[in-house]
Amino acid sequence: MKINPALSSMVREIRENSLKERQHSRKIVNWVEDHRLPTGAGKALVLILPTRGCSWALSKSGGCSICGYIYDNPLQPDYDIMLHSFKEILTQKIEKDLKYSLKLFTSGSFLDTREVPLEIQKEMMKEAAKYDQIEEIVLESRPEYVTESVLDNIAEHIEISKIEIAIGLESANNAILQNSINKGFFWEDFVKATNRIKDKGARVKAYLLFKPPFISEFDSINDILESVSKVADLGVNTVSINAMSIHRGTFLSQLFEKQLYRTPWLWSLLHLCQEIKQKFPDMRLICDVVAGGSERGAHNCGECDKEIISILKKFVLNQDSSALKEEVTCSCKTEWRSFLFSEKISNSEILDIYR
Amino acid sequence: MRFFQPLSQHGLARVLAETRTRTHLSPGLIAIEKPIKSDGYSGFFDIVLPPSYSSTEKNFNLHWNILEAKKDKALTTSFSHSLQPFYPSSVVAELSEKDFQSYTEKFLELEDAHKHIYTLPISFINSAHFDSVLDTDVSLISLIGLDKIFNNQRKLAEVLIGLKEKVSPDIAIYLPGPTSPAHYSFLTYMGIDFFDNSLAYHVSKKGYFVLEDKSYFLSKHPDCYCQYCTQDPRNILGHNDLMMKNEIAKVRFALEEGILRELVEKDIHKSVTFAATLKHLDNNYSNVFRQRTPIISSSKLKCIGEESLTHPVIIEYRERIRTRFEPAPGKKIVLLLPCSAKKPYSFSRTHMRFRGAIKKAGKQIFPLLSEIIVTSPLSVVPRELENIYPARFYDIPVSGVWSEKEIEITSRLLLDVLAHYPKNTKIVNHMHGHGYQQIVDVVKEKTSFEVIDTAVEKSPTDQNSLNELGEVLSNLSKDLMYDREKYVPSKIRKLQATADFQYGKGTGQILFSRDIKIRSKYPKDLQIFREKKHIATLSSRTGYLSILPDIAQEIIDTTLNKLEFGAEYVSGSNIYAPGRIKADETILPNDEIFIIHENRVIATAKAIVSGVDMNKMTSGSLAVTKKKLKVKQ
Repeated sequence: MKINPALSSMVREIRENSLKERQHSRKIVNWVEDHRLPTGAGKALVLILPTRGCSWALSKSGGCSICGYIYDNPLQPDYDIMLHSFKEILTQKIEKDLKYSLKLFTSGSFLDTREVPLEIQKEMMKEAAKYDQIEEIVLESRPEYVTESVLDNIAEHIEISKIEIAIGLESANNAILQNSINKGFFWEDFVKATNRIKDKGARVKAYLLFKPPFISEFDSINDILESVSKVADLGVNTVSINAMSIHRGTFLSQLFEKQLYRTPWLWSLLHLCQEIKQKFPDMRLICDVVAGGSERGAHNCGECDKEIISILKKFVLNQDSSALKEEVTCSCKTEWRSFLFSEKISNSEILDIYR
Repeated sequence: MRFFQPLSQHGLARVLAETRTRTHLSPGLIAIEKPIKSDGYSGFFDIVLPPSYSSTEKNFNLHWNILEAKKDKALTTSFSHSLQPFYPSSVVAELSEKDFQSYTEKFLELEDAHKHIYTLPISFINSAHFDSVLDTDVSLISLIGLDKIFNNQRKLAEVLIGLKEKVSPDIAIYLPGPTSPAHYSFLTYMGIDFFDNSLAYHVSKKGYFVLEDKSYFLSKHPDCYCQYCTQDPRNILGHNDLMMKNEIAKVRFALEEGILRELVEKDIHKSVTFAATLKHLDNNYSNVFRQRTPIISSSKLKCIGEESLTHPVIIEYRERIRTRFEPAPGKKIVLLLPCSAKKPYSFSRTHMRFRGAIKKAGKQIFPLLSEIIVTSPLSVVPRELENIYPARFYDIPVSGVWSEKEIEITSRLLLDVLAHYPKNTKIVNHMHGHGYQQIVDVVKEKTSFEVIDTAVEKSPTDQNSLNELGEVLSNLSKDLMYDREKYVPSKIRKLQATADFQYGKGTGQILFSRDIKIRSKYPKDLQIFREKKHIATLSSRTGYLSILPDIAQEIIDTTLNKLEFGAEYVSGSNIYAPGRIKADETILPNDEIFIIHENRVIATAKAIVSGVDMNKMTSGSLAVTKKKLKVKQ
């Protein structure tokens, strides 16, 4: 069994209550941002497709303990509108002389035909293939939807080497997947999907989750380092480290509201990037900080947050580790070390230091 | 074999040492990273913060600061911290309970070398899984979640007492995480053995400036001129660290000196919660502390706050007066006297004047007269016990005003003591003032004794009062006859009363009834001879006796200080836990105890821990041998 029934039932209860207040939006939210392409710095055009949402989140397992993306998906997707505005956005946003990474996100799995039917996948690939500026297309999916037929369908309509399938592995440690995230799949499933994707000639990107619930920041640093090593051994050369941010309506959010969880320190992210880049210089390492500097996202003391976030941004864009070597001094750095220790030895209990 | 052994005990606080090297480790501070100099720390973690690819070892170790020269002798010099539960106990029981069970199962399967540090969330203190860990050689319990109940005095007391009642004193308790050193003394008193210096690192704008009375915000605090604060730039981490080390050193010193309770009574004024917790402890768990606090001591007992009324030693003293004190036979007059600042009372000018007045009644008065000093917080001190601890060692701020509680406690014990005297005993009250008057009023109301007041108008030292005392006693003695047969000289009476107080009721009569001679004089120790044989010594330092093993044999059926031992004779200078069959639970640390094998006293010894704890310990030293029975070859 890949889930912990006690955890799963708690996640599900919170999910069911929160789903009642699900927002109804059929617009494709989209934006252009600076991005690191395989060949250098460029732009990313990000589209959030309003599908019915992640099937795992909607299942009776309750979905992932930390994820609240599902609340932004509409109950009834309209594929005609979706396809129409997809084409419109591409024409509007893609400029002539720039290189793009097209990111098609659904807050679920693009390859899941219940979210994006095969026909729609095909149409979108066909449309994207019209733009030479698009160097890569990033599609997100859980490993179970990475099937031969779905991959073949895509390969038929676009150069498959442009495709990068991003999988939210989160951790290579099954105990964490099962007892912390309620992920519903194991490391072995990720390995199978990765091999399938590589056999077809597409690339794989792994998302790793930094500091899921119940894992101390100390242990989570270790877990990310180990997971990166395992993923690298598998031949995955793009890794995105996602520092935990708190989504409303989730199991994690409840822990956070009861002050049983602290979002990670930016110092840890800086350290992780330094460590990983040193050990795997050729790896494309992404570390975008969501809600950085706020209580619900990765943050430090408030004084040095901006500075570190901008260092991370610079590093991710240029993949130049010299950016990480910039000396940042802030008195909260010792506090962070003490926090790493105290939280670890107290078994992830957040200590009330005012005693 | 467990790693720790207690070297001394005072309430729930202990000095803990490595079993073989006897290097003091607790109460102690643990550095969370390897310090440049290990001075002042009991140990350090070799954890790498933050972890990196080069820190290959996933686990980390706690290294003890054992002297280089003694390291070869030590059982081990480090503990590995290898296992923890997966879920914190703050999550719902559905998740944490099963997880805690599986954690414990995995822990029990570890090799002995990795079974040193056990993580215990406070919510599982009463769990049967935890009980099974206590049967192993686990050495250190890392107590998790205590900070959540730091402001709940009732819960805090319950949890820590519950834990201490459960675990053997050779298991140390570590409270990880940021703890203000202002709380060290109280937490040590409640049984915590180790803290760490993680608070010292909180030096950001939201950080702390640690001082002995409290932790201040860095933005506003009193100046400090320590070596770290005077350097440029200031080294706050260094300063904080120094303060923490100094505070733990004070606590350890107080514990070694036997004055921890006094330090606690002073320090609780730093925290409202802790002040309330101490009251709660004294009201509800006084036995737990009383059973473990030495009564043999020679340190000054400063009774300043109201907390002193419920000081474990003072409770124990009153209890022993109640259950072990018996007036000498033939006494027909009880003289109630006020206390004096100078101790022993007899050496004070006021008591010398009382004695002068008593003498005027004639020599025949002494066999008839029983003198009782009424005082707070001890309540009642019979003249024959004025030299023992704590009677000779306490100090109080005299205001002349007695609180309701003091009056109630004092009069209750006085009534209990007076109940031992025959109905026709006359009571002469030579005390003056509102508080004393109220106490005597209780006696008048609740008993049928005839009470004669001799210092109603003026103070007891006033010449008129003294004259009246002399006259009253002189008149009384005319009508009363004393029984020459029963009369015990006061010097011998003192020995008897001390023995009863120390070894148990009735022992004094057995030991000191025949031809007794006392050699040497105060301030030297008194050497006591019976029928020309040296049988005992009375320490002038503490006021307590020590007797020889063959003499102790006489009181074997009466004494409350027995430790049944499994071997025929004691080898070496320590009594170790594995040899213990059963210890009397009345034994307190520092007590003179009798090591017994098959109903024979084979040695006398000085207890290190209480009898209650002796029965719990599975390794380590229980007592230090004093005299062994000489075996005829």
